[in-house]
Amino acid sequence: MLKYVLRKLVALIPKLLAISLILFVMMDLLPGDPLTRAMNPDTYGQLTEELKEQYREAMGLNKPLPVRYLNWLGNILKGDFGWSTSTKQNIGNMLAGRFPYTVELSLMSVVIGSFLGILFGYIASIFKNTIIDYGLTLCSVIGVSVPNFFFGIVFLLAFAVKLKWLPTGGRMEVGGATDFFHRFKFMILPIMTQSIGLIAALMRYTRSTMLDVLNRDYIKTARSKGLREATVNFKHGFRNAMIPVMTIVCMRIPMIVGGSVVVESVFNYPGTGQMSLTALTAGDIPVVMVTTMVSAAFTLAASTIVDIVTAMLDPRIRME
Amino acid sequence: MNRKQGRSSLTKRSLDKFFKNRMAVVGAIFVILFVGACIFAPLITPYDPTRLVPPDRELPPSAEHWLGTDRVGRDIFARILYGGRMSILIGVSSAIGATALGTIFGCIAGFFGGKVDRVLVTIQEFVSIFPSTLLIMLIVPFVGRSVPMMIFIFIITSWGAPMRIIRGRILSLKEEPFIESCRANGISGMSIMFHHMMPNTLGPVIVNASLNVAGFILSEAGLSYIGLGVPETVPTWGNIINAAKRLDIIQNTPMLWVAPGVAIGVFVLAINFFGDGLRDALDPTTR
Repeated sequence: MLKYVLRKLVALIPKLLAISLILFVMMDLLPGDPLTRAMNPDTYGQLTEELKEQYREAMGLNKPLPVRYLNWLGNILKGDFGWSTSTKQNIGNMLAGRFPYTVELSLMSVVIGSFLGILFGYIASIFKNTIIDYGLTLCSVIGVSVPNFFFGIVFLLAFAVKLKWLPTGGRMEVGGATDFFHRFKFMILPIMTQSIGLIAALMRYTRSTMLDVLNRDYIKTARSKGLREATVNFKHGFRNAMIPVMTIVCMRIPMIVGGSVVVESVFNYPGTGQMSLTALTAGDIPVVMVTTMVSAAFTLAASTIVDIVTAMLDPRIRME
Repeated sequence: MNRKQGRSSLTKRSLDKFFKNRMAVVGAIFVILFVGACIFAPLITPYDPTRLVPPDRELPPSAEHWLGTDRVGRDIFARILYGGRMSILIGVSSAIGATALGTIFGCIAGFFGGKVDRVLVTIQEFVSIFPSTLLIMLIVPFVGRSVPMMIFIFIITSWGAPMRIIRGRILSLKEEPFIESCRANGISGMSIMFHHMMPNTLGPVIVNASLNVAGFILSEAGLSYIGLGVPETVPTWGNIINAAKRLDIIQNTPMLWVAPGVAIGVFVLAINFFGDGLRDALDPTTR
């Protein structure tokens, strides 16, 4: 198992490097003086041509492409992603302020969404062809068919505007307590909106995979051995049904990360999605590029974790 | 002659199976209704979805304006019909494109195997980690917002699923005795690929494509909602909801977001039922 985890982690490195290379080449192709992105735009504005040239030389911006890439990569590892022209801040600092919010939202949506989706799917398969099954299936079909931001607007109206149980948006109370439970109040509606698609999709998928697995011969064997129904369903059925289901979780992660832009927009949630949208309106393309690439790297990391969890369930994958 | 008969009876069996599935038939009817209503929109509504009529601002639903009008006096019902044209067009053409690209790469990967396979699978895995919403954000500043750009991004980000399906099918088909007998009979690789393997992979791919149409319509709506989709001048289901972003509009003009939201929901639901029916009908193991 340890060997498998290590191999998975090593396999991440070339992919991360590829992401960074794409980002670097795109940034390099942007029109304009690269120096504006390498230093604070305010300072840049005060420089004379001569000084600018000296800075370029000192920062290695005149060097050949591979050298510049390595320099740039070194800066990134130190947290220096270059400067934003619209906010006059280092993009690394901007990300440090926003990225944790998006990660928190995405991870909780994936975890809660997977848990509920798999649970409901399991229940539906156990109570196959009963009213419980039909009710859950109907909900899941509606869940995958209606755009999630539509649910977001409905939740906003119902729970925040009409019932006033939860805040309409934002991330924390101004001047209020910032501990997890106070902040969590602001995350309930975004998480609900964000995870609905995942819950619905996983419910459908878990149900059909469970039914498929429960038809297998080894389940009949387990039953005829006289094992309890719950043991058969859970230990023999569920565990085997989980393997293809985890693949779906993995495939959905990019959708969750990308979808957070929409959900953040509905609830005015100050994550990277909002940050990119604002930057986009201001024509600040480097911010959008960096955010996209960091999100892709995050997606990659999250998918790797799901892969490892899948391997824990399935000894065959570990052996490969 | 015999082969033809065999084929038509298989088609007939699939059709029979499909028509026995009530939800699938209802889904198909709804899909046809929606597509028909959107295509023949000018016959159904006299209003122009883009014409601005200042005196008719924010009218409630009435006999003239079935769903009322928006903030600039455009008829919402007309906008939903005309908007459906673009939404469905985007969904269908992206699904066709993604399926075609995925089929080509899946066939190549599965048929040649070895290094070619590994390279293609690696590329697919790499491309699949980029969320389409974020890619669109990256491209919009350079090429602007347009329908072809959106379709292009959807295709680029979703050819992976059909590719994996086809690749998996071809890898297992390769071991089947009937393919071996083709080889033994000296049938060329290309012919085996296109005449003997491809037809056996199409079922799941068609199902995937039909469900993709639904997925793309949802993505378009989300992107247009945050203002990254199709230009505002072109009505789409997502663009109509885009107008309902402020809380006061959400509360005062509910038709602006409820109506297109329900239109999307019902259409996508219909496609999902249709796709599920198709899956059961095309899958020889279910009866």
